Formats: sequence, C-alpha cells, structure tokens
Amino acid sequence: MLKAIRRFFGERASGEVARKRMQVVLMHDRVDLTPDIMEALKNDILAVLSRYMEIDNKTIRVDLEKGKEYTALVSNVHIKRVYRRAATS
Amino acid sequence: MAGKTIVVTSGKGGVGKTTTVANIGTTLAKKKYSVVLIDADIGLRNLDVVMGLENRIVYNLVDIIEGKCRMQQAMIRDRKLANLYIIPAAQTREKNAVQPEQMKTLCAELMEEFDFVLIDCPAGIEQGFKNAVAGAQTALVVTTPEVSAIRDADRVIGLLEAAMLHDIHLIINRLNQKMVKKGDMMSTQDIVGLLAVPLLGVVPESEDVVVSTNRGIPLVHDRGSRAGVAFQRIAARLNGENVPLDDNGAEGFFGRMKRFIWS
Ligand SMILES: Nc1ncnc2c1ncn2[C@@H]1O[C@H](COP(=O)(O)OP(=O)(O)OP(=O)(O)O)[C@@H](O)[C@H]1O
Ligand SMILES: [Mg+2]
Repeated sequence: MLKAIRRFFGERASGEVARKRMQVVLMHDRVDLTPDIMEALKNDILAVLSRYMEIDNKTIRVDLEKGKEYTALVSNVHIKRVYRRAATS
Repeated sequence: MAGKTIVVTSGKGGVGKTTTVANIGTTLAKKKYSVVLIDADIGLRNLDVVMGLENRIVYNLVDIIEGKCRMQQAMIRDRKLANLYIIPAAQTREKNAVQPEQMKTLCAELMEEFDFVLIDCPAGIEQGFKNAVAGAQTALVVTTPEVSAIRDADRVIGLLEAAMLHDIHLIINRLNQKMVKKGDMMSTQDIVGLLAVPLLGVVPESEDVVVSTNRGIPLVHDRGSRAGVAFQRIAARLNGENVPLDDNGAEGFFGRMKRFIWS
C-alpha cells in the first residue's frame, strides 16, 4: 500500500531503477581500461593534438568519469602554444 | 572428436551452476546421449550430493590428472541412467593442483568417448575458473535477476571472450514472475539487453529445486515441476532442438495443460 502511494508520487519501480543503474555500471566496467591501454591512449591523444598545438607532455591526464546517467572519458591537457594556421577556404 | 565440452559458469557464487549442470546433464542423458559431468570446484565438492552419488566416490578429478587412477576408475555412474557419469572434485586439495593444459587434455580425451562433457565451474574468476573453461568450446553463463549477479556475469563474459571462447549462452535462474509484473525485478528482456548474449532459457524461482537437492534426485526426473520443465527445454535448445523461447520463462496455458495431462 505504502509502495503504491510512493509510486503514485513518482517513485520509479525498483526493477527499472536496477536496469538503469546496471546500464551505467556495466559500461563503466567494460571501459575500465588496463594501465597499458590507458598509456597508449594518452600517447595517441598527444600525437593528434600535437599536430595543432604545442602541448605540455607532462600534464596530460586521461580519466573515466562516472556520472549518474553517463560515463565520460575526460582528458585534461595544458596547451603551451597554438600554431598559426592558414585559414581553410 | 565426437563430443562437445560445455562449461557452466557465473562469476558470482550460489546462482545455480551446479543445479544447472545436474539438470541439463540428466536431460541429455535421458535423450540417450552419453554424458559426463565434471565437478571442477576443487575443495568445495557439490555436484555429487546434488546428483545423489556422494556415497560412491573413491577417486576424483585430481587423482586422474596426477595419474593415481585411470579415468574410468574416477567416473561414477548415475543411479538411474547408465549413460550418465560424474567425475567428482577433490575435496582436500587446492585449486592449483590442476593446470589449464591438463584440463584441456582431459576434455579432449573425454570427448572421444562422450557426446557431452559438462563442466561445473567454481565461483570466482581465478585459477579454478581458468581451469574449468580451458577445455570448453561452449559456455553457459548463469545469472539471477540481481544487480551483483548480472555485473559478475558481464565480467565473466568479457573474460570468456578474451579467452577466445565466443559461443556463449545466457541462462537466467530464479526469475520471480510476480515480482517482474510488479516492476520489482528486472525482466528477461532487461537482462538480455544489458548482457547482450543470446538467451538459452529462463528458470523460475521454485521450491522444487530445494526439495530435489534434498533428495539428491535432479528436478528433471519430476514431470510436474515448472523449474524442471524449464531445464528440460534449456537442454533441448542446447542440443539444437527447435524449442521456442517464451519471453518470461512461464509455459503458458497449453504448457500447463500438457503438464496436467502428463502427470
Ligand atoms: N530456480 C531456483 N529456485 C530456487 N532455489 C534455487 C534455484 N536454483 C538454485 N537454487 C538454490 O540456490 C542454491 C545454490 O544453487 P547451486 O549450488 O546450484 O549454485 P552454484 O552456482 O553452483 O553455487 P556455488 O557458486 O557455491 O558453486 C541452492 O541451495 C539451490 O537449491
Ligand atoms: Mg556449485
């Protein structure tokens, strides 16, 4: 009865809550990359960015951030200098 | 090689691996296939009591591997079915008494003789798991509709794929249809959607499982049991028979009628 009232006021059924939570947890587990892969990923990001700007190699960080409804790959890079480029036509 | 080796695994403990091995194995044997069940849960032997064969054990899996007995000496024949055998686990040894390579060799040998080699995997993802999956071509991953079991199942599926074992099927055990209807349990569709491996079948939560374990007689010998019927259908699908998957693991009206008439 109490449960029915709480549902009425918008509480989600626990099965649905579980499914949503598992979606996030499994995604996070699956992208839980090994340190080796993390290192390779960091180097690749560096290589790409270096084509456009001068990067402080020592400050780059790559982390997985787990939000309530999403998992994000967050990279923090300190830029030293951006190359001047000819405007693309 | 004539036969096929199938490992039943889960990650999380207590979700129904041993129950599944006993019931699928018994069903296949009732279909006249030759079947051997290996208890790979070294140190925590269980399959023998579930099958009601605990009084007949002389040798075990580690004895075979260490050459202390011949393979046939460690195989215990089922009480009802002459073409069904189990190889019990060693109770007083460590998991590392066996190596994956040795399991591979043993499974290959058994496949020469048997149509089905079913392996009861221990819980966890360490040495015992690696041994249990080493010789298998197919994996059945058992989960219950609970978050921890599903998470562990996902981890195990990842490890199986990493070990190049790609023929993976899902079994959902202990589904409570009433709770699903109320919205208080993840549904079959929810779980299959999360784990993204093909579903082999759904077994309902049932007191019959406890009763059959108490007696040491696999559920599938009892025609009146819903969980038993679910295991029979799972075994048939594993055998490539065309048995439709009903979406919630329940049999529906005609299934119930048939059962009523049979029993
Ligand atoms: N469908 C079911 N309904 C009710 N009880 C069940 C069901 N399936 C399994 N059980 C019960 O759950 C318990 C654990 O089952 P089982 O021993 O098969 O699991 P397991 O995965 O082999 O465990 P372990 O990881 O310890 O080896 C047993 O007591 C069994 O009777
Ligand atoms: Mg077990």
